[in-house]
Amino acid sequence: MRIKRALAITKRIFRGLRHDRRTVALILLAPILAMTLFGIAFSGEVEDVDVIVVDHDSGDLSERIISNLDDKTLNIRFMDSEQNAVKKVEDGNAWAVFVFPEDFSQNIATKNAVIHLRADKSNVNVASAIAVTLREAMTETLTQAGGEMPISVSESPVYGENAEFIDFFVPGIMAFAIFLLTTLLTLLAFVGERTSGTLERLKASPMRDGEIVLGYVIAFGIIGMVQASLLLIIATVGFNVTIEGNPFLAYIIVALLALVSVNLGILLSAAAKREAQAVQFLPMIILPTFLLAGIFWPVEAIPSFLRWASFAIPPTYGVEAMRSVMVRGWGLGEIWMELVILLAFALVFMILSVKSLQRGKG
Amino acid sequence: MEEGLAVETRELVKKYGNFTAVDHLNLKIDRGVTYGLLGPNGSGKTTTIKVLCDLLKPTGGEAFLLGKKVGDNSIAPRIGYMPQETALYLDLSIHDNICLFGEVYGMNRAEIDSAEKNLLEFVDLTKWRNTPVSNLSGGMRHRTSLACSMIHNPELLFMDEPTVGVDPELRASFWEYFETLGKRGATVVITTHYMDEAHRCGKIGMMRQGKLITEGSPQDIIQSTGCGSLEDAFLELARRGGHHAD
Repeated sequence: MRIKRALAITKRIFRGLRHDRRTVALILLAPILAMTLFGIAFSGEVEDVDVIVVDHDSGDLSERIISNLDDKTLNIRFMDSEQNAVKKVEDGNAWAVFVFPEDFSQNIATKNAVIHLRADKSNVNVASAIAVTLREAMTETLTQAGGEMPISVSESPVYGENAEFIDFFVPGIMAFAIFLLTTLLTLLAFVGERTSGTLERLKASPMRDGEIVLGYVIAFGIIGMVQASLLLIIATVGFNVTIEGNPFLAYIIVALLALVSVNLGILLSAAAKREAQAVQFLPMIILPTFLLAGIFWPVEAIPSFLRWASFAIPPTYGVEAMRSVMVRGWGLGEIWMELVILLAFALVFMILSVKSLQRGKG
Repeated sequence: MEEGLAVETRELVKKYGNFTAVDHLNLKIDRGVTYGLLGPNGSGKTTTIKVLCDLLKPTGGEAFLLGKKVGDNSIAPRIGYMPQETALYLDLSIHDNICLFGEVYGMNRAEIDSAEKNLLEFVDLTKWRNTPVSNLSGGMRHRTSLACSMIHNPELLFMDEPTVGVDPELRASFWEYFETLGKRGATVVITTHYMDEAHRCGKIGMMRQGKLITEGSPQDIIQSTGCGSLEDAFLELARRGGHHAD
């Protein structure tokens, strides 16, 4: 194994990029676009939800609850007729109707006070925001009246004290973007090597199969680092995401993930005779990663009969390690297992990708 | 392997499933010779070259290059290979392609610069040095491909159909170059199905259905068959089922 020969391959990949603006744009713009779009889409909270209040209460308790409703989340209108108000929900002109019955204030003494909520629950997030806002207003009203809940929760977070949803998914998006783009770029580049005959030419030279793979690993490892830097800059500067742990550790995770992806790309290229066939592999990479790697919802939320599939794909470990470093602030001592598993994936894929190059000899 | 031989195969066989591409081939090519491997498409020429360049594993028999058994790591730096397709990085310039293959063969910057200058002058591409290969004509790409396979000054050069799709003027200049290489002491093995070109080889071997049906100088083969041209000689030998001229 000669590192100089491997570096010749690395240099050729970067030299090629000088004339290939489209690929450079994919390398640089795809992570920027992904992080920006996901950041904008997921960093906001539910706001301006149209609700209608039908207040028949003869007392003043309903008014006090209504005054405590968060007017940032809810856009409140008043109507007299419950029937007409519900019609508005049915027609899609409002998300919910709060109905305070005439005896609402009176019934509080007998603990029979009921608010009737008629909501369009077709959007789970909106329905949840309405329910939470109403519950908070009730608790606030109760507190103002001198009443107290018999049980309280004293919260003292161990990790992620000020974490928002964007802090949760940024590590996932980073791992996803690096894994997907590196696999895709290597796959296309390597199919090109096979179809153009350059791979055959290299194999007729003193270049060893392992050196070709290493050249690719170095090049796309560097590209992965650049992409990770872009993602981190946008996340921290654009969306105020804080990195609790050592950013250097995040780079190590990215490098390992890139190592896995490059070898997976080379491996898949052996099964594609041309670029159009290579593109057919994309859904096989995107879907499991997107759905099973714990990017948007935890692996624990995946049905147990399918959970093994989550643990069988490398990005799951990249996402978990990245999230532990960035949100929990964990160090090498806590994430070593994920790193070892990623390294094991990389080594297995590397051996298989070198074997796939040798298999062509027939 | 016999002394003085650049290439030797003994009962070489290559099968793809049930199809025999190379059928007990026995070749002996002396050093310094321009050897033409002739035959129609599918006769086993390219497979033979690929086995010799260690790109395919033989199913049976043995092959030796420059005194070493094929597969020996010391062979690759001493041979050059020009595949049938141009096999270049289209997104790189001529210079970048030549540099890459120079580096792959372990040459330093000064060695690459010197060899590149001479080669580009020879293939008449000096002024296109920094042009991406994707912007070059087919003929220019062929010449670049030739330069890449020659950058490390190999002792033994395999060229698989180097003149396919090349215009007559360029074909003539290619053959002049192959003759120059022979005069410098390099062994050149060229596959072609253009019988008229084979006259320029020092020795030719005709292949049909994976077998060598005759071998010798072009004149010897024509004389031994009593035909007027190599093409007629090939047809006559194919009809007879094979005959060795020497």
